[in-house]
Amino acid sequence: MAAKPMTGQAFFVLTALADGPCHGYGIVGEVAELSQGHVKLKIGSLYGVLDRLAVEGLIEPDREEAHDGRLRRYYRLTRDGRRALAAEAELRAATARVVRARLGVAGAEATG
Amino acid sequence: MSAGLDLEQRYRRVLRLLPGYYRDVWAEDMVAAFLDSWLTGDLDDDEAIMEFCRPTWPEIASVVCLAARLYLGGACTPRRYFAWGQAVRRAVLAVALVHAVVSLGTLLLLAWTRHVFSWLPASPAGLVIATPGGFVPPAVWYGVYYAWIVVFVALVLGHYRTARVIAVLAIIPNLEWLLQSQFTGAIASPALGPWAFWVLINLVPVLAMAAFHRDAPPTARWPWLLALPAGYLLVEVPWLAVQLTGNSAWLPDHSGLFCFLVALACLAHAPRALSRKNAGSGVWSLTLTLLAALAGAYRIASISDYRHDPHLIKVSLAELLILALAVALVAPDAARAQTATPVPPSYPQLA
Repeated sequence: MAAKPMTGQAFFVLTALADGPCHGYGIVGEVAELSQGHVKLKIGSLYGVLDRLAVEGLIEPDREEAHDGRLRRYYRLTRDGRRALAAEAELRAATARVVRARLGVAGAEATG
Repeated sequence: MSAGLDLEQRYRRVLRLLPGYYRDVWAEDMVAAFLDSWLTGDLDDDEAIMEFCRPTWPEIASVVCLAARLYLGGACTPRRYFAWGQAVRRAVLAVALVHAVVSLGTLLLLAWTRHVFSWLPASPAGLVIATPGGFVPPAVWYGVYYAWIVVFVALVLGHYRTARVIAVLAIIPNLEWLLQSQFTGAIASPALGPWAFWVLINLVPVLAMAAFHRDAPPTARWPWLLALPAGYLLVEVPWLAVQLTGNSAWLPDHSGLFCFLVALACLAHAPRALSRKNAGSGVWSLTLTLLAALAGAYRIASISDYRHDPHLIKVSLAELLILALAVALVAPDAARAQTATPVPPSYPQLA
């Protein structure tokens, strides 16, 4: 069966983890920043995405750190996660190039 | 309500909505993330926040949505939740199928009365396609019939969002008609039957479409698609034939028909449910039990509409008895399907 396409939320969460491990609320902030405020993850939605990504083997726990008397769990990309994110980024970039070419937007010549 | 609790305890209370296996893995981290979104690092401020602040409604809604997805689970959830998810999905498909069969029958009758099928003899003079009326024009009702066919096909083909949006639009005219009839006195008050139909056969299945989420396995397309013409030929055509031959008095009302259809399905499934060799029969048994609960509730609610006719009350009770006897054949198998089983080995052990 063909793999399901990656959702926008999953793409942003994986991107937030691309340059290093991060904890739950840190991911929320990273995603908001990466999406320029367009994607505001609720905690329930975030852990729905993290659960799915962990089941698919794309993320894994990195470490736990004490913060204000509570443990924060950090997550990191797995090798499969890094590969899936690279493939999705390439797909999105290719789609963006086609869109820009069709719109006649500057920079479209890069499509060759 | 939550006096004496601090913010952390209030969040833990909200997280009790989630299944236990999920809480074991994720709850501590979720609480930490929730609190991180509030706390400032200033001791006085944080003390006030912990004492007086409460989980926001959007946060609670996001946990409720997550809980719905987990309880009506996909392939990577424990078998109990997967069984519930599959049973609800099949029950929704079955109700959508009934709507689609009735709609197909109505639209074909409409086409017959408008002489669309020139090769057919003219329709009987007494055959009139009645629509509920009210402020809603007949064309909208025909659109509703068409919409239910689209909803059913969209669900089967996996276009879940489309199905949900069209289904919500399809149940609005009926609600408008009910409200208008209630306020203008067109239907007697209290008339539970029409309201029970809208709540149980329209609203509940539309809400239960939440079970068709991203993790839901795809539906077996051909059996469900073929069920539409088969249902039309096996239910609608005989129904119409009885009506046209002037024997309508023999026909049950809507809720009675639901009871008979579910009872027949239970009887057809009973040999598989009673033979413990069929390991996969439990989900169908659970589906039929859910449908029986729906049909039974609809029958009970609409009995009150016959309070002046003892004969129809006896008929309604007989229908309920038949339904109860039929579902008793599959209920034990349904109970076995949802027995607690361990979390699948593929589930991540993060804790």
